[in-house]
Amino acid sequence: MISLLIDTTTSNITLSIIKDDKILYKYQENILSDMSSKVLPIIDNGLTELELKLEDIDKIFIVNGPGSFTGIRVGVTVAKTIAWALKKNIIPLSSLELMATTSTNKKYIVPMIDARRNNVFAGIYDDELNCIKEDKLISIEEINKLNSDYEFVSYDNINIEEVIKPNIDILKIINKHINDNGTNPHNLNPNYLKLTEAEENKLKND
Amino acid sequence: MKDTYILGIESSCDETSVSIVKNGCEEIATVILSQMDTHSSYGGVVPEIASRMHVENITIVIEECLNKAKMTMDDIDAIAVTYGPGLIGCLLIGVGAATTLSYIYNKPLVPVHHIAGHIYANNLVSKMEFPLIALVVSGGHTDLIYMEDDYKFKKIGGTLDDAVGECYDKVARVINVPYPGGPLVDKLSYEGEDTYPLPLPLDDNSYNFSFSGIKSAVINLVHNETQRGNAIRKEDIACSFQNRVVEILSKKTMKALKEYNVKNLIIAGGVSANSGIRNKFKELCEKEGINLTIPNIRYCTDNAAMIAAAGYFAYKKGIRADIDLKATATTSLF
Repeated sequence: MISLLIDTTTSNITLSIIKDDKILYKYQENILSDMSSKVLPIIDNGLTELELKLEDIDKIFIVNGPGSFTGIRVGVTVAKTIAWALKKNIIPLSSLELMATTSTNKKYIVPMIDARRNNVFAGIYDDELNCIKEDKLISIEEINKLNSDYEFVSYDNINIEEVIKPNIDILKIINKHINDNGTNPHNLNPNYLKLTEAEENKLKND
Repeated sequence: MKDTYILGIESSCDETSVSIVKNGCEEIATVILSQMDTHSSYGGVVPEIASRMHVENITIVIEECLNKAKMTMDDIDAIAVTYGPGLIGCLLIGVGAATTLSYIYNKPLVPVHHIAGHIYANNLVSKMEFPLIALVVSGGHTDLIYMEDDYKFKKIGGTLDDAVGECYDKVARVINVPYPGGPLVDKLSYEGEDTYPLPLPLDDNSYNFSFSGIKSAVINLVHNETQRGNAIRKEDIACSFQNRVVEILSKKTMKALKEYNVKNLIIAGGVSANSGIRNKFKELCEKEGINLTIPNIRYCTDNAAMIAAAGYFAYKKGIRADIDLKATATTSLF
């Protein structure tokens, strides 16, 4: 069983090829510009290195949000096009859950992505990746109410005491979801967790 | 000679479109998913909403197009895609899908400039004859282009400020005509008379255009009339405005034809659907013995058939992109 994992939801992109319980290829980099044009060449590098073809991939794990709206779409477009064209099983993953694979001694882990205006996208997970509180847009003020049972992780600089950088464990999340049902690629879409500003304003005015 | 089938993908604004064109002139199948109804409730295209809709629809539209053509990717010789100019978030979806398809099926990837696409929409009507002058009029462009041969573009003039379509939309807003303003102003102009003394914009010896002056003139006119408590006759404003725009476009275009000694004129871009422009150019070209081509209305707005048509000629010229093709919001054809 060979899996391809694509995460372009933040500037810390991850592209990985996994076979059973082994990571064969891992690209993890902080890419600040032209990320969209780098995704396919990185996948191609990985496949070439391993002497594999896209056809050899059995499952695609696509991290479909939350995060940068454009970043999410870049990964989802590539992933759903591959899944549609080559009839591959495609499984969406949460960017926050991926961060929640960071190891901790605390009871719960709170992955966060900066959503600006004193808000973050955040969820609460335990160390078996069970979702205790589902991913949502929430104010930093709310997050600050959580006690010392919680480990905060984020790539971003968020105004909370003691935030650690994620150290993601790809195998942990893959193993958790390896038996998830695949999605029809046409319906595999971003999970922004936030309406567009235009939609929000319209709701306010209606 | 073997036929060449190009799959075109266009997503630069609010239409997700995929098309298959044979030999750059024969449309096999086109699917266009327009988002106009969604955006009209916001009074214009909202880039983030447009991008979201593109990603939701892209694979569906590709599949539908192949089904409609009764073809598979194996029948396709190359993939052409609009890489710019346009809304960056939107372009990224088409480019992402095109590069991925090119990678999966190992097909050549051909980057197409959106304006080249609009020009080549005419090749779907009748074979383009060279040399020619192309007048490209759209929401983002007002260009006069001289083409000596296929895929050789030389800009001889363009707008110094607003594009003509942009100006139509702004005038529409000022006289309270809903989105999409351009076509409605065109329609309204037939119900009015040319009574307002609007200026002829940038009436000089160059091939350049400027529409900010006439836009301001309309804004001032409406403002002053309102201040005086006079009712605004929007039909008459529409008529006066359209007459002036059509006059300056035709004046400079006809001058270019004469000066470059060219007998072929094509009009391209979204605003080429404007009936005032169509009628005036038909009349003038008949009189001057100019061979005029304007795309069918359905090819005037954004569509992938024109991208596939242009893509064929770019392909023949050896223009290629790699899987690291970048989408560009602003990019010049020249």
